[in-house]
Amino acid sequence: MEIIKEKEAQAGTPDLTLEEAFGRLDQVVEALESRDISLEDSFRIYQEGMKLLKLCNEKIDQVEKKILVINGEGGLDEF
Amino acid sequence: MQKVYSVGQINSYIRDMFDQDFVLSRIGIRGEVSNCKYHTSGHIYFSLKDESGSLACVMFAGARKGLSFRLGNGQQVIVRGSISVYERSGSYQLYAKEIQLDGAGLLYERYLALKQELEDMGMFAAEYKQPLPFYVKRLGVVTAPTGAAIRDIINVSTRRNPWIQIILYPALVQGQGAAESVAEGIRALDRAGVDVMIVGRGGGSIEDLWAFNEEIVARAIFDCRTPVISAVGHETDTTISDFVADLRAPTPSAAAELAVMDVRELLGQMRLYREQMQRAVGYRLEECRQKLLHAQMRLSHASPGQRLNADRQRLMEFENRLQERMQANLREKRHRTGIYIEKLRGLSPLDKLAAGYGFVTDEAGTRVYSTRQVRQGGQLNIYVSDGLIRARAEEIIPEDRSGFGGS
Repeated sequence: MEIIKEKEAQAGTPDLTLEEAFGRLDQVVEALESRDISLEDSFRIYQEGMKLLKLCNEKIDQVEKKILVINGEGGLDEF
Repeated sequence: MQKVYSVGQINSYIRDMFDQDFVLSRIGIRGEVSNCKYHTSGHIYFSLKDESGSLACVMFAGARKGLSFRLGNGQQVIVRGSISVYERSGSYQLYAKEIQLDGAGLLYERYLALKQELEDMGMFAAEYKQPLPFYVKRLGVVTAPTGAAIRDIINVSTRRNPWIQIILYPALVQGQGAAESVAEGIRALDRAGVDVMIVGRGGGSIEDLWAFNEEIVARAIFDCRTPVISAVGHETDTTISDFVADLRAPTPSAAAELAVMDVRELLGQMRLYREQMQRAVGYRLEECRQKLLHAQMRLSHASPGQRLNADRQRLMEFENRLQERMQANLREKRHRTGIYIEKLRGLSPLDKLAAGYGFVTDEAGTRVYSTRQVRQGGQLNIYVSDGLIRARAEEIIPEDRSGFGGS
């Protein structure tokens, strides 16, 4: 696997979907477990992984919501 | 006397009468299904009834291809077949070859026609199917606000993800205006923006489900930018909505299962990622630490300080050995000196003098050890233990004492 570019790691993450973030996390873990990356790279990739996890947490948005009812005009009310 | 017949004869006679009857051998009968039983053998036993009475019916397993839906009590049907006598019980019944829903039969024709038409237009084509999003935050539902369908969807969805946002369009799902209502719901939710949409209702008769066979609903689903899951009736009910939707679910509950990701699974996966990452980095760090330690050891072995220490060590060892050697030598010499002293003591002239020997010199003090050194009348000094005796040589008598070996 190609090592994830630093720029990408910083600029690319916010636009990821949850599914993409999970795919990336797969790569991150694989990269970290490979024997031929430098310690510096492993720290950087680890950091990216942590950012991705944070992003996933944000995407999951753990707030309970009321069930809403939409009417024909697009107005929303509680169910 | 009148002739008497057996039961078998009379039943057989009546049966022949029935079987020869042109009308009874090819007949269509309208009525409501009751007492419907699916037998394990594959035969279906039921009755057809109307206000005036009822008629026993059977559809044998071999005739089942004439039935394209699940027969149920209360259904209005048209049954085609023949009426004959079951001799063992002396009863007549309708042997069904084909059963159609009455009125629904017409509907079914329309259903088939519309299905064919939409299929020909490519509305069911796989390339128009949109994939469901991996993680749904906003779930749209078009169904009746009351009833099992919405309750099932809410239960299943919130069980799988308690943080999901459900937006319901309360649609009319059967009766006059149902198709328009469902279509409008799909458009309203598509405009409002949801991640995925479930369109459907619980089970019912084919008439009840009919809105989901209408073209206006099919088009609304087809035009919808949001992925749509169709969930109409039970597993056995198939509507046009099911064909045109991006995904067909057998029931509303199943639709919710398909749409909503089990969030515990996600969180578990995230925990796993975190652990794997920490383990990998921890392992890498430990590895580096070990390498560093090893290098440090090697480096310190090779350092000038270490060399100096090693040299110093060797020097001290030399010094020690030298000192030990010197001490040993000294001890040895001292020992030997002792021995010499002892030896010398044995050789001391004074001791000899004390033992009665004398030490003889000439006038000049030279030790006399030979007769040849002395002249007759020459003076001699004889030293004894306590003094000196001056004497003169009266006579000199050489003697050969070579045998004694002393010198």
